[in-house]
Amino acid sequence: MAAPSSATRTTLTGYALYKGREGQYAFMLHRLTGLGTLLFLIIHILDTSTVYFFPSLYEEAIAIYRHPLFMMGEIALVFSVIYHGVNGLRIAILDLWAPSKWTINFSRNTVRGTLFLSLILWAPAGAWMFYTMLQHSFPDILRSIGLGG
Amino acid sequence: MTVRTELQPTFETVAWRWMRYSGILLIPLAWIHVLIQDVLVGVHRIDIDYVAMRWANIGWQVYDILLLAFAFAHGMYGLRQVAVEHFPKARRWLSVVIFLLWIVVSIIGAVAIIAGARPELA
Repeated sequence: MAAPSSATRTTLTGYALYKGREGQYAFMLHRLTGLGTLLFLIIHILDTSTVYFFPSLYEEAIAIYRHPLFMMGEIALVFSVIYHGVNGLRIAILDLWAPSKWTINFSRNTVRGTLFLSLILWAPAGAWMFYTMLQHSFPDILRSIGLGG
Repeated sequence: MTVRTELQPTFETVAWRWMRYSGILLIPLAWIHVLIQDVLVGVHRIDIDYVAMRWANIGWQVYDILLLAFAFAHGMYGLRQVAVEHFPKARRWLSVVIFLLWIVVSIIGAVAIIAGARPELA
């Protein structure tokens, strides 16, 4: 593997050194959540396809999804899908219908708004998924705090 | 004085618009999918019989084909944007590799959705 090109180094140090505040954080989080969702999507398309191509393998594939660590990843995935959607809608609306609103202040406020809205939408879904994970993988913990099981 | 010039749309400008259109469409499409399968049903109740039951319904088959087409194209074009930005010298072969990966995985997924699950062979 060759050393990263100078352009790559410029981009990576640019991410770290550029003081773009909210707009830059939204840009980086949008890329991170998008690439994370895509990585999951590729795995998800291929493992689901086993139901037709290699039906006997599907049960093993789904067993990976039931592992508590993978379920924690799924909770992060749900945040990624929500945040990428909310922030993407912000970008699409501004780009397609209100490009004159792309000002620093308006952008900073809408970035805070999208993060807040994403967390509000994610909290109940994430909490429920965390509860189901405990229910299946660690029922004793739920029983010990009096939450059935 | 402002002069408006009409530029001939290129692949990149059309793709730029479609990233926004497909993104808006994906909000209901992907969110409903994640809400049903990950939150309401959950992986512990999903097995090959469940997939077979879902794809026995043409409505869910169409839904999943649309989701596959829009979500995966949107994601792979996004990957290509990030990749060529970080490695501008490799723009051409990165574009080709990502395009081929997109085509191959899309076909695999589409064949599975259309042909359906085969729980009798599990």
